Amino acid sequence: MGQHTIRLHPLGKELVVNDQTPLIDLLHEYGVEFPCGGKGTCGKCQVKLLKGDIPVSASHRSKLDHFKLPDDCRLACQCLCTESITLQVEQYNHLILADESDFEFEPQSGVGVAVDLGTTTLVTQLVDLSNAKILAVETLLNPQVKYGADLISRIQAGLDGHLTEMTHLIRTAIGKMISIMLTGTNHNPNKIVLVGNTVMQRIFSGNDLAPLSCYPFHVEDLGLKSFSSSDLGWDFLADTTILFYPSIGSFVGSDILAGIAATGLYKKEKYTALIDLGTNGEIVVGNKDQIICASTAAGPAFEGANLSMGMRATTGAISSLRLAGTKIESSVIGKTEPKGICGSALIDAVAILLKLEQIGMFGEIGSGEERVQIDGPICLTQKDIYEFLLAKAAIAAGITILSKNLGIDTSEISEIYIAGGFGNYINTEHLLSTGMVETTEDKIHKMGNTALIGAKIFLFENGELSPKILGKTRHVNLEGFPEFQDIYISKMILG
Amino acid sequence: MSEIIAKLLEAVEFGKIDQKSPYPPQLRGMDGSHELTQQALESGVDPQRILEDALIPAMGNVGKKFSENKIFVPQMLMSAKAMGASMVQLKPFFASGAIKSKGTFIIGTVKGDLHDIGKNLVAMMVEGGGWTIVDLGVDVGSERFIDALKNNPGAVVGLSALLTTTMVNMGEIVAGIRQHVPETKVLIGGAPVNADFCKSIGADFYAPDPQKAVEYLNRLAS
Repeated sequence: MGQHTIRLHPLGKELVVNDQTPLIDLLHEYGVEFPCGGKGTCGKCQVKLLKGDIPVSASHRSKLDHFKLPDDCRLACQCLCTESITLQVEQYNHLILADESDFEFEPQSGVGVAVDLGTTTLVTQLVDLSNAKILAVETLLNPQVKYGADLISRIQAGLDGHLTEMTHLIRTAIGKMISIMLTGTNHNPNKIVLVGNTVMQRIFSGNDLAPLSCYPFHVEDLGLKSFSSSDLGWDFLADTTILFYPSIGSFVGSDILAGIAATGLYKKEKYTALIDLGTNGEIVVGNKDQIICASTAAGPAFEGANLSMGMRATTGAISSLRLAGTKIESSVIGKTEPKGICGSALIDAVAILLKLEQIGMFGEIGSGEERVQIDGPICLTQKDIYEFLLAKAAIAAGITILSKNLGIDTSEISEIYIAGGFGNYINTEHLLSTGMVETTEDKIHKMGNTALIGAKIFLFENGELSPKILGKTRHVNLEGFPEFQDIYISKMILG
Repeated sequence: MSEIIAKLLEAVEFGKIDQKSPYPPQLRGMDGSHELTQQALESGVDPQRILEDALIPAMGNVGKKFSENKIFVPQMLMSAKAMGASMVQLKPFFASGAIKSKGTFIIGTVKGDLHDIGKNLVAMMVEGGGWTIVDLGVDVGSERFIDALKNNPGAVVGLSALLTTTMVNMGEIVAGIRQHVPETKVLIGGAPVNADFCKSIGADFYAPDPQKAVEYLNRLAS
């Protein structure tokens, strides 16, 4: 017994582990993802045994049979190491959206660090405060992903006693990213600004997640959190002010507050919308007088979690599709053979299939088959298309209900900003043809990572901007509106 | 006579509410379930036949197609609305005893959870299966289920939850029901729920989709 060596092919990594170590604890650091949080229900964490064996329990066997996996495959989340093995893991190159866009600022001395603490991805940027130039950038997968892809699984993990561990993981990861950016420089940041959704803020701060687990979702202390480096267990930056910006509501965080700052929505005369197509799918509508926002359950489909061949925007994902005559052409991230489809291409696929009349207004596959081919082995099943309809309807219904609440028609929204992980890869024409956003092409602006842009704007302000935005912003629960069901279901129809 | 029944069955299955409703396109301009039910009753068709030979088989077809991914939520909702336009005219016959319901089904989304679309779809399908519905709404704790059971002796209970964080409340509710009205049958459903979970909390049946709930209830009633 004792220790075993785990070789990861093709990464060339060798890990020495104790007997009975769960594979999930090792592999999440090497890009194997666990969207369902290790319950064995999503089948996304499969690995191939090249050498050695991993015993299969009865429940593991039934899961392997369910996903029709060959004998040499295992679901990593169900495995314990009992001997030395060689595993083939998918080579994941994460495509994480950093940002280099311009914004208005008052020059100051020194440097600062902006942090976008996402549910899935982390981005840190070292910023020269005299000219807003980016001196260094680091990106990383959020180490909490081993507890699940979506927020509900993170909240569940917190309730199951993993809060301290998740807090430790994220503080350590952010500290490491900042220290890498500062290595070899003599910069000493005066200020670090973190933004993220409410759950990320609470995990980073070590706050109880129970209030977010069920209705009435009443959360105290959503405000600005201030830390010293020693609070976070960092052994550097003793004099730096570290601020996690305030959340707007129980499910809309400072990443959206940052988005409101980045788009300048809070100072615009005309009504403007911000749609963040990340894990949580937040929507904001407003102007200089009043702002209203909500979260939707749109995220998982766009991140590939609920799709049979879905994946995030990483190596091997089809990122976009075009129609050449009647033939579908695809672009694959990393120019490899396609292994799956990510959010931006899902929108393309549905728009193109609709245009080719291979699916109808209810998303039904015209041929009556269970699946429709996209490119080579990559298909969408009927259920995948329905997952898209749910996500699309959540966004469209959100915009409609928030507008109604402001007493305006959606046609009165003069600009719509699309933010989020894959926002920049979205084909606007396709987006409109699915009916997810009901406007005209000229009103849509793809703005990329608005959370990070906003975090940088916050580096330059003295603490007045966020109360100013929060003072005119309301957070609502879409499901609380009596008309939600009818609007939501009517928006499931395509076009 | 049977022609009206056949037309009504088609109207409900394809979601034609009334003559002026534009949906579905292939039945544009034709009579919907509202008019057809009226005509059937006026021409003396037995209301029990309207329920058993038109509404129940129509909604059964809808449930099967949904179960097989052939249709999705919007079509199911349109069919349920068409059924509702007929059912509202049959209500007096339920009250008078001219139509016999298969039983009473009490349904609610569990404490801490506000999601009601899935719960509503199940309620509509079960109603279309010939059952009387008592819908307790959302955020419902064990006390309200127990009260409803006392007011509707012999009713079957359905629990819905959409979040992994709220499905745990199902266990508490099942335990409460077992303690106060032990012979009650409880079925559960919702995205995070599965058969193993159903077993672990001591519920009687896990319904992966509305049709499976209807089929289970019909087995109980037969």
